Amino acid sequence: MAGERRLGRVIAYIILVTWTFVVGIPTYWLIITAFKRPEAINRGATYFPWVDFQPSLLAFYDVFVLQGLANSRPFVNSVVVALATATISTIIGGAGGYALARFPFRVGPLNNDRIAFGFLIQRMFPPAVLLIPFLILFRTLRLLDTREGLVLVYCAFSIPFVVWMMRDFFRSLPVEIEESALIDGCNRLGVLFRIAIPLSAPGFVTAFVLVMIGSWNEFLFALTFMFNKAVTLPLYLTLQTSIQAGTEYWNMAVIAIFSILPVAVAGLLLERYITRGLTFGAVK
Amino acid sequence: MQQNSTAKQPMAESHKKRPSQGIPDVIFKWILILPATIAVIALLIFPFMFTLAASFTDWHLFNLNAPINFIGFKMWASVLTSSYIHTTTWNTIFFVGLALPLEFLLGMTVALALNAATFGRTFFRVFFLMPLMFNPIAVVFLIGKLMLQEDIGPINDVLMGLGFPRIMWLSDPSMAKITIVLVDVWQHTAFMILMFLAGLQSLPQEPFEAAVVDGATAVQRFRFISLPLLGPVALTAVLIRGLDAFKVVDIIYSLTGGGPGQATESVTLTVFRTGVKGGDIAFGSAASYLLLILMAVFTALVLFATRKWVRVSY
Repeated sequence: MAGERRLGRVIAYIILVTWTFVVGIPTYWLIITAFKRPEAINRGATYFPWVDFQPSLLAFYDVFVLQGLANSRPFVNSVVVALATATISTIIGGAGGYALARFPFRVGPLNNDRIAFGFLIQRMFPPAVLLIPFLILFRTLRLLDTREGLVLVYCAFSIPFVVWMMRDFFRSLPVEIEESALIDGCNRLGVLFRIAIPLSAPGFVTAFVLVMIGSWNEFLFALTFMFNKAVTLPLYLTLQTSIQAGTEYWNMAVIAIFSILPVAVAGLLLERYITRGLTFGAVK
Repeated sequence: MQQNSTAKQPMAESHKKRPSQGIPDVIFKWILILPATIAVIALLIFPFMFTLAASFTDWHLFNLNAPINFIGFKMWASVLTSSYIHTTTWNTIFFVGLALPLEFLLGMTVALALNAATFGRTFFRVFFLMPLMFNPIAVVFLIGKLMLQEDIGPINDVLMGLGFPRIMWLSDPSMAKITIVLVDVWQHTAFMILMFLAGLQSLPQEPFEAAVVDGATAVQRFRFISLPLLGPVALTAVLIRGLDAFKVVDIIYSLTGGGPGQATESVTLTVFRTGVKGGDIAFGSAASYLLLILMAVFTALVLFATRKWVRVSY
């Protein structure tokens, strides 16, 4: 029995260490590439700083000083679009989620569960189906290549997700606190702002961060509708690697790192909270 | 009057006595839900219908003066018989068919290991989640363009050092199909790990203790307890990840651009090429609905194949 358990644990750690290498080596490679000089890349694979190549800050100097102005725009675009999308869809979606969690709805055959499922199912549809109507809409409303347009599309995708997530979250809070506040003379708005929202702060943070990550990383709509002044980081990264005949791997590595860093840090810090959102509440 | 109408609401029954002021519940609930509903109807449901309608026309964006006619199923017929669409449909199915089982098996293996681990579990869990946070284009860059670079990438360097021939990860059409799967697996196995770990940790302990008392081996406990109880989680994971994989476009666009030739082009990329860049609204619309049908068939097949083991409750 004890032998079997020990064997199982050894196998488990072999698997874990292997997967650590699978995830870790490419990440390590990205980081060291940012510190390589062009010669250290073009002459073939080099593995360890100070052993087979001399690390340098040349790429960081290039990206932040020499091309700082050009590089800052997609970064600012990504920040603005992600934060605006997350703010708007958390407010609108949170309100919808609260309504579905606390009030009975009946519209024909639709009850609360069906309405909530109707919101969830939106998430499954392919964005390809929306490309063409949004193209027409953007041309008509002159939203092409604007951050406002991108925020509009991302909100459309995020709101149903937030409604579904926040409904789930509000339902896990005891309704009795809100009821006693009503009896004590608090009105509905007071209950919402003084009790429901403070109690559900972790839920809102989770929704906010997940929407932020999603819109920060989105590619297809950015590619379709943005081409110059409203380009976001993932699109910028693609344009940079495909335009240049000889890719400047060192500079691209720096940009890639900074396209990952903000959301990766936010995501990993809130890892416990966002797991439930990522699994669509399928696992409680 | 307003207070009376509030009191008639079923939810408000318990607070009849309260000195209710402000907005009545029946209005309040609609104010809360209306913005989200309007957004979904205007920005998702209406566009979906729009695309469906457009797929029955001959609408072409570059024929500015030509009137738009409804031509019934003609555009559908030309989409369904187009060898271009056949190629990209099979590419998409191949991609899902290879990526999904790989991610499923790797994810379950790693999650089982994580569940058995004691020391360093939090570190491994957080570390393994990391790729899921990366944007797909950065993943393409670090896996596809750095690690798998054919001339100066470390993987070819190591393989050739071990005496293998140089692998043409991107320039060989049949290899490129596999390379995009590898990029996807590197990123999205994290999702499967997350799902299975959460599933494993929510399993009740009693059946395992009983099985140990009865002398069941670890393999038997996994086969006859964990696996059946994990059914619902596995089904959800397969549906979410599978449907997501059908939509693949970002990694393909930025890694191979659909090439070499059309060896890696997915249906979504075809919709982008024909409907957006090519201006062929009708063709692109029909192609995008073909993808939707494909995903519906996938969902139906998965639910049908698992109906005996798993009951979904939504």
